[in-house]
Amino acid sequence: MNTEELKTLEPTKTVDARGTACPGPLLEAKKAIGTINPGDIMEVWSADEGTKADIPKWCKKQGHEYLGTIDEPGYFRIFLQKK
Amino acid sequence: MENKKMCLGLYTGSVDKLTAAGVILSGAAANDMEVDIYVLLQAARAFKKDIGDDASKLNMAENAEFKDEFMASLNNLNVKTWVEFFKEAKEITNVKIHICGLAGKVWGGEKLEDFIDLADDICGIGAYIESAEEADINLFI
Repeated sequence: MNTEELKTLEPTKTVDARGTACPGPLLEAKKAIGTINPGDIMEVWSADEGTKADIPKWCKKQGHEYLGTIDEPGYFRIFLQKK
Repeated sequence: MENKKMCLGLYTGSVDKLTAAGVILSGAAANDMEVDIYVLLQAARAFKKDIGDDASKLNMAENAEFKDEFMASLNNLNVKTWVEFFKEAKEITNVKIHICGLAGKVWGGEKLEDFIDLADDICGIGAYIESAEEADINLFI
């Protein structure tokens, strides 16, 4: 999805993990995904460069769908759909 | 799909390497791996109840002269302590922490109660070898 499409999404859950360094955001995502239902959209905010690569790979392994990332000043908004 | 298994031979009793082990453990937890940790010689001291998160009682494996800077930086970055990393991984996935019987005795720890609550049992080297044979990933830190 491109940035415009991502901006129209209405995530069920937004995880603000900007206060933590790797592996914080990945663990926050892991914990939060257990609280939403299949089909729900989740957004992870991270200021850690490594998370941008980690979350898509983690989605692939876990069977969730990575939807895309929006670059904001100083952080990233990473979108995924729980399967 | 069956969960992958990781076997970690944890030898180090230094705060920097224990923190690295904690970070790796977090990655394994995020991917639902089953993890067996075997606490060997130096690490058993860190797992003693009177040591654990008390960084003043732990040394650095490398760059010892920069310990204060290292610890302050971890704190500024909101990085968890090594014990917190291990605890959180246990909450997320199946992590079992086994204290090597010999290692425990070297540091005056005879019983499970002598070690921090995260420890599951006291074991022999045979258990480590068996777990290492079965694991998809073997690490020695």
